[in-house]
Amino acid sequence: MARIYVIDDDEQLLRMVGLMLDRGGHTTTLLSDPIDGLEQVKQGKPDLLVLDVMMPDMSGHDIARQIRAFKGLEALPILILTARSQEVDRTTALRSGADDYLSKPVTSQELIERVDNLLHKRESRTKPEQGILIAMFGMRGGVGQTTLAVNLASALRRLSQEEVCLIDLSPAGGQAAMHLRLQARNTWADLPTANELDWTVFKEKLTIHPSGLRLLAAPAVPQSATEPSPELTETFLSLLQSKMTFTVVDMPRVFSPTFTAVLDSADIALHVLAADVVSVQTAVQVDRLLNKTGINFRQKSYVLNHVQPEAELPQSTVERGLNARVASKINFDPNQSRALAQGVPLTLTSAKSPLPTMMNRMAEVIWQRVANAAKK
Amino acid sequence: MGSTHFGRNQLISVDLFTDAYRVTGRVLVGTGGIHAELASPNSDFLELQDAYISRIHQPGEIISHYKVAAFRKDNINFIVLQDRREGIPVGTQHGRSIFTRGRSLSIFLTVPSFEIAGEIMHDGKIAPREILVQTIGRFLLVFSAKASASLYPDISYSGDLILIHKDRIGIFCLGS
Repeated sequence: MARIYVIDDDEQLLRMVGLMLDRGGHTTTLLSDPIDGLEQVKQGKPDLLVLDVMMPDMSGHDIARQIRAFKGLEALPILILTARSQEVDRTTALRSGADDYLSKPVTSQELIERVDNLLHKRESRTKPEQGILIAMFGMRGGVGQTTLAVNLASALRRLSQEEVCLIDLSPAGGQAAMHLRLQARNTWADLPTANELDWTVFKEKLTIHPSGLRLLAAPAVPQSATEPSPELTETFLSLLQSKMTFTVVDMPRVFSPTFTAVLDSADIALHVLAADVVSVQTAVQVDRLLNKTGINFRQKSYVLNHVQPEAELPQSTVERGLNARVASKINFDPNQSRALAQGVPLTLTSAKSPLPTMMNRMAEVIWQRVANAAKK
Repeated sequence: MGSTHFGRNQLISVDLFTDAYRVTGRVLVGTGGIHAELASPNSDFLELQDAYISRIHQPGEIISHYKVAAFRKDNINFIVLQDRREGIPVGTQHGRSIFTRGRSLSIFLTVPSFEIAGEIMHDGKIAPREILVQTIGRFLLVFSAKASASLYPDISYSGDLILIHKDRIGIFCLGS
């Protein structure tokens, strides 16, 4: 039995939804005023919220966004229930922070199933003692490394509803903020020295996306200065591992002490390459360099990203060149250029194209591993 | 915001599109469905209750809400309904009425900012001019239809019935 709050301005429907949930064995609080409802949710901290979208004064999307930004309610399961039943409405609901979406009219069975499913997911969420650090790297530009990092971080946030941070360590004009259509007021260039850095200072430098994903942006203008020092990087990665469930680092394409410091701390290192000769040759050279540095990888995998409609090399040839298996292959996704133009990562949409399908699968595997490890 | 009955009248939910806006709301219709309201010579306006307005390029985001909103019928590009029974006169949906008799033809057409595909029912000579000029009312009935935004093809709206203002049609193509 769970404590469920329902916010809907249509009192007749509100009573009906309340009745359905009562019959499903839950305790309901029915709220017809959206502004008052939001306050009640903040104070009452229910187990789940059922939310209408079309309400006067404040829409359900605005309420969901405010709840996601409110401390202590970041993980509250939200089910949106609305008469707007188009695919675009589902996408908007999920982007605003909702966990699931149902269009009216709804049957009692459907509602109870979705509610129970969300409650079950919430119970099975178990936070690991230390956050997982994922590094995406590769020295060849134009292989979609930032795209994959942004989409993996977004997918992890959407799937787990845990704290997820994306770090853009690019020194050559950060693009992660552009992928997320964020105006970053602070970047890693604004961080103090390692000695002066603590969590309070660091979190002020993070930009929050409406989905709840946090971003440490890179300077928008290519830096004449170098990337953050290895000491500073190790300090903030350590802070992130204690505060965030997942940290995804979009690595610089410069082989440097900072580069190796991140890889040394990473729980999962994903080497991104495209299916072309230069990309494979570069990957082989980078591997040789990494072997010389003696980094002890906990887990390292190759991700083959098809950034062109026609692959120059088949996967088997790439694997022969690398002398290793490719763990994940992502087929060319024509939707990506539009996603970039719109500033919405594909994993935050309901698109079923190759890139979000693969990145969601990757996020599920990582999240499952974390959940299983925490249960042990 | 589902359908609500008031005697022989009912409030039906609609998604209405103008050149720049998507408006979701409810329309009070009689037994003739919304098609009769749109064809009515008594008013050039269609009134919506509980109107929620979104911009066409951000159709999921609600920018404002009004208790009542009126639309010039000539400025409506199309209206999406989830149930065809709310669009045409009661009793004519299953029988052979002027709205549902004839053969099913697949069509593709454009209105400002949107392309729409679906099926029409037509009894008579199969020619675009015949269909557009001879059919009843200002709005064309397209069943099992999908409207896709021309500039944002991933934004689309599906409906059991879409009513399209004939004067707003730019391209009209007939299939089989």
